[in-house]
Amino acid sequence: MRTRNVTLLMLVLGLLYTVMLAHAQNAPEASEKGKEVYEQSCAHCHGTEGRGDGSAAENLLPKPRDFTRGLYKIRSTESGQLPMDQDLFDIITIGMPGSSMPGWETSLSTDDRWEVVAYIKTFYDGFKESETPPRQINLEGKISYSEQSVETGKGLYVELGCVECHGNVGRGDGTSAPTLTDEWGFQTWPANLTQSWTFRGGGDTEAIFKRFIGGIAGSPMPAFEGDSFLHFGLTVAESKRLSELENKDEMTEAEEAESEKFYEKMDAAVDLALNRVEGIELTATEQQTYDDAMKVVYEKSWHLANYVKSLAPEKRPESAIGNNVLRSQYLQGGLPSMDDAAWETLQSKHFPLVGQIVIEPRQFNPTIDSVNVKSFYNDTEVAFLFTWDDRTHTTGDETDETTGQPLEDALAIQFPVKVPQGPTAPKPYFLWGGRLPVYLWHWKASAPEQVTEVTAKGVSNAEVQEAQGELQTQSVYTDGQYKLWVKRALKTEDKKDLQLEPGVFVPIAFSAWDGANGDVDTKRVMSSWYTFVLEPVPSSRRFVYPPLIAILSLGLLFGLRAVVQRRNA
Amino acid sequence: MKRLSLFTICLIILIGSWAVLRFAVGGIVSVPIPGSVIAMYMGLIIIAILVHISVEDSLFREFLRPIHETLTDNNRRVRRRVVAVLIPLFLLGYTYSIIAQRANPPGSPRDAHPSPPLELTYKDEVIGTMQDVVNPFRHYEKDDPDAFKAHVENGRRVYYNNCFYCHGDHLDGQGHFASHLQPLPANFQDPGIIPNFQEGFFFWRIAKGGPGLPAAGTPWDSAMPIWENHLTEDEIWDVILFLSDYTGYQFRTFGEAH
Repeated sequence: MRTRNVTLLMLVLGLLYTVMLAHAQNAPEASEKGKEVYEQSCAHCHGTEGRGDGSAAENLLPKPRDFTRGLYKIRSTESGQLPMDQDLFDIITIGMPGSSMPGWETSLSTDDRWEVVAYIKTFYDGFKESETPPRQINLEGKISYSEQSVETGKGLYVELGCVECHGNVGRGDGTSAPTLTDEWGFQTWPANLTQSWTFRGGGDTEAIFKRFIGGIAGSPMPAFEGDSFLHFGLTVAESKRLSELENKDEMTEAEEAESEKFYEKMDAAVDLALNRVEGIELTATEQQTYDDAMKVVYEKSWHLANYVKSLAPEKRPESAIGNNVLRSQYLQGGLPSMDDAAWETLQSKHFPLVGQIVIEPRQFNPTIDSVNVKSFYNDTEVAFLFTWDDRTHTTGDETDETTGQPLEDALAIQFPVKVPQGPTAPKPYFLWGGRLPVYLWHWKASAPEQVTEVTAKGVSNAEVQEAQGELQTQSVYTDGQYKLWVKRALKTEDKKDLQLEPGVFVPIAFSAWDGANGDVDTKRVMSSWYTFVLEPVPSSRRFVYPPLIAILSLGLLFGLRAVVQRRNA
Repeated sequence: MKRLSLFTICLIILIGSWAVLRFAVGGIVSVPIPGSVIAMYMGLIIIAILVHISVEDSLFREFLRPIHETLTDNNRRVRRRVVAVLIPLFLLGYTYSIIAQRANPPGSPRDAHPSPPLELTYKDEVIGTMQDVVNPFRHYEKDDPDAFKAHVENGRRVYYNNCFYCHGDHLDGQGHFASHLQPLPANFQDPGIIPNFQEGFFFWRIAKGGPGLPAAGTPWDSAMPIWENHLTEDEIWDVILFLSDYTGYQFRTFGEAH
C-alpha cells in the first residue's frame, strides 16, 4: 500500500517537474553570435572574460556580476543551485532595478538575448559539468496575502534576526548594515524594504519569496534552507518560543534544556540539508525530517514575503514633475510642529535624487534614493517637512581624507534668491547657482537643531549668511529615516533671502549627503530644478460669479420669451 | 418618422463636429488638437450654418420656429422648464470650473538644439570654425581601419566610464540616472539626432556641457557636465566616433557632393 503511494507521488512529482521544465525555456548552444552580442553590449561592465571587471566596473556599486563563479543573485532555484536559463534570460530582459544593469528588452532581440545567456554560461564550467538540472523552487503552497499572514511574518522578521541587517521597519538600517561585504569583498548594503522599486529581482511576493528560499548568492543574504541562523528545522511556534527564551536576561534550568532541544533539532535538520547538498543519500526517516523542515521553511517564507510586501508601495511614487508640483497648503492659524498629526492629512511629493557626476568629486553610487516633502503655510509663515531614508546616522566623527571635511549626513534645500519672472527668464544654475545666486537651507546631522542659511554662486562660491536665526528647525533620526522640519516667515528683512508669495511658482532643488557613503562637498546626491508653490486659497469669488451668471441667464431667457410673446401678439 | 427640425440638425452638426475634432481626429487619428484650433474650426462651422439659414427668409423662420415654440407655446411647457433649468445649471458649473481651476506652472520653452557658436574651442584654445571642423580621426575609417578601431574602442571606454550613467548602456538616453533628470539626456538611437548634426556640434555640446548652452537652451537646467574639465580633446573626438559606430548613424557632413 505504502509503496503504491510513493510510486503515485513520484509520478505526480515527475509530471509536475516536466511541466515546470516545459515552461522554462533553455538556451541554445553557445555560438559566435552570442560572443559578438556580449562584446558589443555587456563586456564594458562584465569584462571580455566575464570576470565582472570591464572598464566601467570601477565606478559601479553593486559591481557587475563576475560570471566565472556561477553565483547568481536572482534565481528561481533552491539554495546552492545554479540558475535556470530562463532566470538569466529574465534578468537580461528586465534588468536589475536599483543597480546599473538595464533591461535589454527593447535593445536586444529575443534571439540575441538567448545567445547571450548561452555565452555567459561558458564562463563557468559548472554549467557544463552539472548533469541534473537545477532544483526549482516550488511556488505551489503560496499563502495568500492577509493581515494575519503579515502579522506572522512580522513576528518572524524579528525572531529570525532580519532586523540585524534590514532594521526595525525594513529601511536597511540594521546595526550590521554598514559592515557587510559580498563574496568578492565589495561593500554591499542590505535592501531598503520600504523601496520595492530598488529590489534587484522585482517587488512581487513570489520574487521576494524566492529570495528567502534560494538566498541571494554571493551576497550576505542567507537562504533559509539549512541555515540554523534562520531556525531551519523549527516550526513558526518553536521559532517564536526560542526567540522568547533567548531574549530573557536569565534562563532557568528547564528553559536552558528547552532551548538546547531546539538547537539539537535545528542541528539535525541542518546536517541533513548539508548531506543533501553533498549528494549523500538520506534514509527514509531522514528524508521525512528534511521534508518536514523544508515544509516549514516554505510556510515561514510566504509569511515573511507577505510582510515584506506590506512594507512598500507597489511602485515608486510619481515624481513631482509637470503639473504634479509641490503645493504648500494654506492653514488658518498656527502651523503644525514636526510631530503634529496634521501632517498626516497631506500627501507628500516625491523627489528622486541622483548621484552628482557633474563636478569633481563625484558620486557614482548614491545610497539616498529620494526626499519626500510636505508643506503648510499661513498668512505669515511657511513650514516644510522633509523625510528621507539613510541607512546610517553619521554625525561627522570621521573626516574625508581628500577634503579634510567631516563625513556627515546632511540635506540642502535650494531656491533662487529671486524668482525668475516668466518662463523664459533665466534661473540660477541647478547645482548651487552660478551667475545668478541661490538661497540655501543647509542642515547637517552634527547640528540637528539648526538650519544654516547660505547664499551660493556655484559650489566653490558659497557664503553662510550673516543674519541667521530666521529659521526654526526640528529634526529626528529613527529607524533609518531622517525627518526635518523647517519653518520661516514668508517675508524677511534680509535681501539675500527668497521672499515668498502665494501663487508664485518657485524653483526648488535638493542636495543630500550620506556620510557613511563617503558623501562630502560635491560628492552627494542631488536633483535638478523642481517647482514649489504656496497654493493660493481658492478665491471666494467662485461662490459669487457662477450663481450670478446662472441667474442672469435665466433672466435673459425670460426676457427673450417676453419679447417673442409681444411680437407674436 | 417625424422629420428633424432645422434647429435640431444644426445642433447635431455643431456638437457632432466638435466631438469629431476633439475625440476622433485629435486622439484616435493623431495627437490631441489644441483648444484654440478647435475653436477656430468651430467658428467656421457656425458661420457656415448662419450663412445657410439666412439665405432665405423661410429657412430662417424655419430655424427659429422651435425656439419660438419652446419659449411661448403652451404645449411645450415641459421642454421650456427643462431648458430653463439646464442652461443656467450648465453656465453655473462652467464658470465655477473656470474660477476654481488651480494654476499650473508655466512650461519651459526650451530649445533642445540651439545654434552653436561660430568658433569651436577646447578649453580656451580655438580648434576652427564650427562649419569646417572635422573629426581628426574620422579619416582613419578609410585610411587605416585598425587605427580607427583603436579610436572607437577608446571612445567606448570613455563612454562607459563617463556617459552611460545618463545616456544609457544602449545609447538610448535611458541610463540609470536618466529618468530623474530634467531635461532628459539625449537619445543617440533617435534617428533625428546624429544624422542632423555635424561632429563639431557634438564636440561643442560635450566639451561645454549644459552651462555652455546659450539662454535658449536653458543652460541652468541641464545636468550635462562640462566635459573639457574631465576629458582630453582626443577623448572627446573618440567618443564621437564611438557614438556613430555603435548606433550605425552617420553624422551630417557638408562635404563635396558625390
